[in-house]
Amino acid sequence: MSTISQRRQDWERDVLAHAARPSRLHEAWQQLSSNKLALAGSVIVLLFCLVAAFGPLLAPSYATQVLEDARLPPLSPGHLLGTDDLGRDMLSRLVLGIRISIAVGLGTTAISLLVGTLAGMITGYYRGWVDTIVNGFVEMVWGFPLILIAVLMVGALGPGLLGVVLAVGLINWAGFARIIRGEVLVLREKEFVASARALGKGDTVIMVRHLLPNVIGPALVMGSYYVAVAIIVEAGLSFIGMGAQEPLPSLGKMVAEGRGYMLVDHWISTIPGVAIVLLVLGLNVLGDGLRDIFDPRLRER
Amino acid sequence: MLIYVARRSAYMALIVLLSSIAIFYSLRFAPGDPTGVTLNPLTAHQAREAYRERLGLNRPIYDQYFTYIGRLVRGDVGTSLVNGSSNLELLKFYGRNSLILGLTALALSYVIAIPLGILAAVKRNKWPDQLAMGGAILGMGIPNFWLALILVYFFSLNLNLLPAAGCCSPNQLILPAVVLAAEGIAVTTRMVRSSMLEQLRQDYVRTLRAQGLPEWRVVGRHVLRNALIPVISLSGLRLGWLIGYALIVETIFRWPGAGFLLVDSVIRRDYPVAQFFSLVLVFFVVVANWLADISYGLANPVVRRA
Repeated sequence: MSTISQRRQDWERDVLAHAARPSRLHEAWQQLSSNKLALAGSVIVLLFCLVAAFGPLLAPSYATQVLEDARLPPLSPGHLLGTDDLGRDMLSRLVLGIRISIAVGLGTTAISLLVGTLAGMITGYYRGWVDTIVNGFVEMVWGFPLILIAVLMVGALGPGLLGVVLAVGLINWAGFARIIRGEVLVLREKEFVASARALGKGDTVIMVRHLLPNVIGPALVMGSYYVAVAIIVEAGLSFIGMGAQEPLPSLGKMVAEGRGYMLVDHWISTIPGVAIVLLVLGLNVLGDGLRDIFDPRLRER
Repeated sequence: MLIYVARRSAYMALIVLLSSIAIFYSLRFAPGDPTGVTLNPLTAHQAREAYRERLGLNRPIYDQYFTYIGRLVRGDVGTSLVNGSSNLELLKFYGRNSLILGLTALALSYVIAIPLGILAAVKRNKWPDQLAMGGAILGMGIPNFWLALILVYFFSLNLNLLPAAGCCSPNQLILPAVVLAAEGIAVTTRMVRSSMLEQLRQDYVRTLRAQGLPEWRVVGRHVLRNALIPVISLSGLRLGWLIGYALIVETIFRWPGAGFLLVDSVIRRDYPVAQFFSLVLVFFVVVANWLADISYGLANPVVRRA
């Protein structure tokens, strides 16, 4: 009597299965929340992003305004983190510094991720002479030390954030393009691409719907490391005076400003220094966690 | 293999050539020129123009470029506009210091990272592993200038053990070398560990163990050899990064190396020096990448045909 009741049961099971199947986003979230490393990293990064986004609401004063005629230690009245060597409010400067770091890190990485993904997809999918030229250029720049390029850019544009941003963009998109092209080269020979093509899907649809979801994982992993690299390079160049210029308070520049006071009032350097370390640590740990999630082969290690 | 080497070499030569053009143009693209730095601000307009004329700064950039390359080929590497010393002299002094610092840091990073990575892999998930991996994550997270400041704070300012900056006694070499090596130690330790773990899972390891070979021989003779191949082939890339970081570390510690000189000459707009030393550093990076490619080709025959 496997007629109506049986069919009904089948139908119910199907519906339930579909309803219960988690979306891709949900799945990713479950994996993220079960991976302690990734979770800790994303909490730290999120916190910094929130400070960057809503920081000005927290900051008690203008970051560039000279308010006191002395260096005040943290927890002074009116200055939660004290004041720096010129009597400017440390908290306000820290918030603005974090804003700059996040903007440089996320901004350059977002743009180079976009350009790199596009270039990697197109060259890997179509091959041909475009691939030869673009990939030749990618191979040329990707192994170059970012800092050397940044110093040369600063040489061309004068000290400032623009040179740093351009250098990071110039090198990092090539890194993205390189891994995405490699992935696409393998994927385009796979059966699911052939079957999509047999179904009459166009190249754009195949690339966006079938290839992109498969390559975006490794790109995101790399992206979180690249944000960290961009932040470190910006801070380092600002530290030696080639990045952010007065009166902008980049974290690297703030550390440099406190150099002369390490023995007496070390917080001028320590506070921004700890902030950079926390931010970069968070990004690296997030990258490690994402790698574990996207590359299950590595997880069992 | 020979064809592969030839092709990589030609490619590298092309990169050096293109970089020389890019460097030349980018420096001249910059606002301001050497007259702003070397001449007295009150210098009359005519004198300023005469100075430009003498340096050839008025001619089209491509023209200046060919003149420059022509001189370079004939061995005339140019002189500093700031103090008149020849680039060759500068290279002898600054280049030697950079080599000392760079090689010390490179040696330091491998001497520490390889044993540490092996230990972490063998004692996987036990405390030595967790300690090493925690240290590696921290080492990757601390920017070198901040590490430099912390080390100077403890070892120079408080304990008075090591000088905070300067050159060139062994004492003064320690801090910059440690700071320059730190990131490399962290990255290489992680790399050695994961490469070791990859090898330890292979069938040949099980076979060797089953044959009754002592564990230290399995690891020391067989696993390690295979595990170090990717580490060695990536060493060229590490060398390139080391050159980049040297710009910052040398500047912080006032270590008179090529990186310090390049940063200084860029800020002072000393074109001939900035140009020459960027080319020298680019050349070193390219050679490092070339070595990496060749060693990769040696280790992995598939690449040669690509």
